[in-house]
Amino acid sequence: MTKGALLIARNNGELDYAKQAVFLAKRIKQHLNIPTSVITDSVDYINDSLDHTVFDEIIPIGYTNDNNTRKYYDGTLASKTLNFKNNYRINAYDLSPYDETLLLDTDYIISNDLFKSCFDSLSDLQMFSKSQDIANIRDSREFIHISEYSVDFYWATVVFFRKTPNNELFFNLIKHIQDNWSHYVSVYQLSSSLFRNDFAFSIAAHILNGFMTGDYVSPLPGKHMYTTDKDILWKLEDDNFTFLVEKKDYVGEYTAVKTQGQSIHVMNKFSLERIINDEQN
Amino acid sequence: MMNKTKGIVVLAQNNETTDYVQQACLLALSLKFTNSNCKISIVTNDNISAKYKNLFDEIISIPWDDSAIDTEWKIENRWKLYHCSPYDQTIVMDTDMLVLQDISTWWTFLSNYEVFFTTKVHTYRGNEVTGDYYRKAFVNNNLPNLYSGFHYFEKSDFALEFYTWLELVVTNWQKFYEIFIKHDKPTWCSIDVCTAIVTLILNCEDKISNKIAKFPSFTHMKPNIQDWYSNKNKWKDCIDVYLDNNLQLKLGNHHQTGILHYTEDDFIKLSMLKSYYKELYNDN
Repeated sequence: MTKGALLIARNNGELDYAKQAVFLAKRIKQHLNIPTSVITDSVDYINDSLDHTVFDEIIPIGYTNDNNTRKYYDGTLASKTLNFKNNYRINAYDLSPYDETLLLDTDYIISNDLFKSCFDSLSDLQMFSKSQDIANIRDSREFIHISEYSVDFYWATVVFFRKTPNNELFFNLIKHIQDNWSHYVSVYQLSSSLFRNDFAFSIAAHILNGFMTGDYVSPLPGKHMYTTDKDILWKLEDDNFTFLVEKKDYVGEYTAVKTQGQSIHVMNKFSLERIINDEQN
Repeated sequence: MMNKTKGIVVLAQNNETTDYVQQACLLALSLKFTNSNCKISIVTNDNISAKYKNLFDEIISIPWDDSAIDTEWKIENRWKLYHCSPYDQTIVMDTDMLVLQDISTWWTFLSNYEVFFTTKVHTYRGNEVTGDYYRKAFVNNNLPNLYSGFHYFEKSDFALEFYTWLELVVTNWQKFYEIFIKHDKPTWCSIDVCTAIVTLILNCEDKISNKIAKFPSFTHMKPNIQDWYSNKNKWKDCIDVYLDNNLQLKLGNHHQTGILHYTEDDFIKLSMLKSYYKELYNDN
């Protein structure tokens, strides 16, 4: 059985997901010792300007300028509204070159080897449902259910899947949900019409659990730790992170938080890119 | 040895706003659909439509006088169910419930007990209820967290003792509240609180409940225990109801199984539930 990590990097003219993918691929090799492939619309850029040797395969897709936009924060005081190209994750099953795939967002920074055990597990589909905000002061209910009245939240940030008929069904169902997104926004009482992979994956998991809470999706090892884009990644040395996390009720003020050996979803992509650039220089 | 008789008993007393007999008929219809061999009897002094009378194994008048003639919730007669149940083994249910699955294995579990009360209930999403919005008196007075909406007894010396105490507490609830309820004292006679007081008096919580077993239980639809972000007046204003031709019920996209305690009477008026069940019953 072949196994590897799969990343998706689609640049939007402002954020350099390809650079993030190269950075993450190196850490995946270091901590998990598995090859990484990337699905990207920036093949020439990767080959000409970045360290393309970190990738096992570079899988090309066409460049599109999608209408989807969202606000990206860089700490509590700065933000930009940018193109949000998140509609290609549904193709990960079809495009993955591996029998066993660890699908990751490029802003999920691997810092330990916990995900090695995914490949030893009997579970063919693993995602995070439970999560922990390292700031620990914010209301995290939006990550428990996909809306106030709706179904359990699953993070599409990290997905382990094997190529099985059940998982093919799972990804096909997600495609159907994406194709009929406005219907699912209504039926699942979502508060925004913006397409989100987390929501589509959560709805698919709920449906395949027989419209109940169930174990169609097994939990990934460990716990999903995250910082939002209101926080700032300040320093990263090996597996030691220093974050400035927003201070409750004091907009623009931060508290320093350090972690060690903990993989973390860093949603502030601007600060992540600053760290990557610093490392390269 | 003779087989013990068993069945469900409901107490239905209409008031000015709610037709509890109608609710009981719907409960009986749901039972026919999911547990066709399970008997159900109704205890009531109200009229039952002729076409629904044969839903019930027995129609029993409220024994002795109506102790709830001046009250809205009508729970003052609850303790009489022990004395008038026609069965050796009885499950007591609230009328505003639906039985959505085969519960025959629950009987097997319950036969290990002389009296059993549910201590855990669930949200429509299937999570165990942890909120104490409606249970302040229980939490703040260390009362056993029992739900009488679904409970069980077998005719026995212990069950008789339990219900004899329940009669005493219900008929003198203010005096017992003075002794046992120091904080968040309800201003009405709560059958759950009275049951909890009896449990303390008899020191029998472990004997009448099981904190490990997930079932028997029910889905409790009171709105402010659903893990929602803020308090709501009615759950029906918040989530949609979906019902298919096979009477599979979804609330807010969550498939419902077990026993549903819908709590809001307009649920059966506004949904297609009643007509679906009626159609099913008439077809048979």
